[in-house]
Amino acid sequence: MNIWELLIQQPLTNVLIVIAHVFGGNFGVAIVILTIVVNLILLPLTLSQIRSSKKMQDLQPKLAEIQKKYAKDRQKLAQEQMKLYKESGVKPAGCLFSMFIQMPVWFALYQSVMLALAAVPEGLLNLSKYLYPWPVVYSALPLSRSFLGLDLAQPNIIMALLVGISMWVQQKMSTTPSDDPRAAAQSQMMTWMMPLLFTFFALSFASGLSLYWVVSSIFRIVLQYRVSGWGSLRKQTAVSADAGKKYIKFDSPEMKKTTEKARDEIIITDKESLKKSRGSSLLDKFKIFGGQDKDQQDRDK
Amino acid sequence: MKSEKMKIASVIAILVALILAIGIFGFSCVSGLAPIGWSGGVVSDGILYVASLEGRLISMNLTDQSRLSAETLKLPTQSGLFGCSAATSCGAGTSRVPIYGTPVVSGDLVYVAGYNGKIYAYKTTNLAQRWVFPRDGYLSPFVGEMVVAQNKLFIGGSDGWVYALDAATGDLLNSFQTGDKIWGASTLDNDTLYIGSFDKKLYALNAADLTLKWTFTTEGSIIAKPLVSDGVVYIGSFDRYLYAINAADGTLKWKFMGGNWFWAQPAIVNDTLYAGSLDGFVYVLKTDTGVIVTSFNLGSQLASPPLVVDNYIIFASHNGIVSKINSITNEITQIAAISFNIDGPLTVHEGILYIQTQDFSLQRIDIISGALLPAITLISG
Repeated sequence: MNIWELLIQQPLTNVLIVIAHVFGGNFGVAIVILTIVVNLILLPLTLSQIRSSKKMQDLQPKLAEIQKKYAKDRQKLAQEQMKLYKESGVKPAGCLFSMFIQMPVWFALYQSVMLALAAVPEGLLNLSKYLYPWPVVYSALPLSRSFLGLDLAQPNIIMALLVGISMWVQQKMSTTPSDDPRAAAQSQMMTWMMPLLFTFFALSFASGLSLYWVVSSIFRIVLQYRVSGWGSLRKQTAVSADAGKKYIKFDSPEMKKTTEKARDEIIITDKESLKKSRGSSLLDKFKIFGGQDKDQQDRDK
Repeated sequence: MKSEKMKIASVIAILVALILAIGIFGFSCVSGLAPIGWSGGVVSDGILYVASLEGRLISMNLTDQSRLSAETLKLPTQSGLFGCSAATSCGAGTSRVPIYGTPVVSGDLVYVAGYNGKIYAYKTTNLAQRWVFPRDGYLSPFVGEMVVAQNKLFIGGSDGWVYALDAATGDLLNSFQTGDKIWGASTLDNDTLYIGSFDKKLYALNAADLTLKWTFTTEGSIIAKPLVSDGVVYIGSFDRYLYAINAADGTLKWKFMGGNWFWAQPAIVNDTLYAGSLDGFVYVLKTDTGVIVTSFNLGSQLASPPLVVDNYIIFASHNGIVSKINSITNEITQIAAISFNIDGPLTVHEGILYIQTQDFSLQRIDIISGALLPAITLISG
């Protein structure tokens, strides 16, 4: 047994078996409970990841401004972005870091689920190597594979769909909207790619594993909702709803006024604002259009 | 614009590769997800019958190693997109039926039960199929060995049922339901069939009609094959105990605790019981009292049932080491070591030990000299 198995996989597997035993040998319940417990232990990390993501979302308007302002100067753009991140206390790599910290834990949990499932004779034989000398562990095995009408050792299409949907919702909620088309395309790709891949996996592997993915996703959805609401999911829904509506364009009588009149109004507004900002004496030195633009009239014709 | 698309495509490629790598790594770290099988062999009239890891019955003349093979057993359905899942097989890149139970020869028929939930009877002469049970459809997987005696075939299935079939026709005669699945083999002694179940009970059934005589409840599931000797049933359980039970009424005579599950059937030589446990120890006990005489640490799981050859008890451990214990002196000697795991039954014929290994071959060991003889391939074609 290597260090990974000794320190991570073995304890987790035994805990899983004990939980199953406590709940009448129901392995499905054990998966759900252990997934929640592990998620609770990782809560500080997950929260920091979600908060970081939320801050990133909040910074988007400012980031867009900076991108517009320094569109031609990449170096300056990067400097300004870093400055903004620093001022706002956002660590862009923080999300990735906490995700990588959590990955071994997800990994161990998944391995323990598969190990404890022991669906085939070889699996059961292999499992015996990992058992602690606790009477409860020895007598609890093999665990019941059925849960809510599912055979946890077999793939299940409904569970696969649930994996995809829950993962999509979670991805969508945590996606940071961006005005940058490239970043937006990448976010869009992530939102679809992960759920599709995991749905594909779930269609091929034991539904006990799918159960673990679904519970994990639901936990993170709840957490994400508590911290930052529906996030991009709500915005997407609102935009989609608007997109679905049909508008009829009306030209109001006021809009049919002559362009001269309209231009007068605009110029007056500009004049007022300029007056406020620069003072009247300075304004008098500039020639302000009076709405008698000959070229514009020609273009309109 | 093109470079933007290229970047996105490369990100997608990296992501897909990363996820696939994680998936592959994860699955490679957990062994025992797919059934492979570990059937032993049986020798009758110089012919060895063995169910190969390719899912077919093979008969082999041990004199010249010429062989015949039956049709490959058929899978009921394919689960999962990759054609494999936790409960089906995808070993060696092909779909095949795993076979765990050693074939049984009786009269002119040889019987084999598959993980596909079917039992087959073939003619020993040409391996032509005589009958199949059930004739239509499939039952739950068969893992345990069958017993053929008194013109009947007895077997327990993963559906928890014990079946008694007409050995000549494959017709169902009687059945009995236990509380959970059966992966263990049954033992017939006179008119009583003994079989353990995952419901933690040992059942004693009337062989005539499969009615219940008595049950004995342990604290763990039972997969080991019961051993009956002098009116006592010896059975190991997942609760780490080896039980001696009076065959007449199912009362406990004594019990002994090991360090892990008792998976395999023990062996008896001269009032001494030799029981291998998954903790890697062989426990040598007095049959009348259960008092331990000595124990041997073989260093790895003992799932393969021991063989008694003359005064020796041969044990093969999971790590591929084959040892023999002298029943007179109680000394252990290593016979040989092979580079494969051994979990299935051993077969011995004329001083040669046959072990089916994961490379689809039969390893041969001279049990006197310990010499490794050239292996025989079981790959078809």
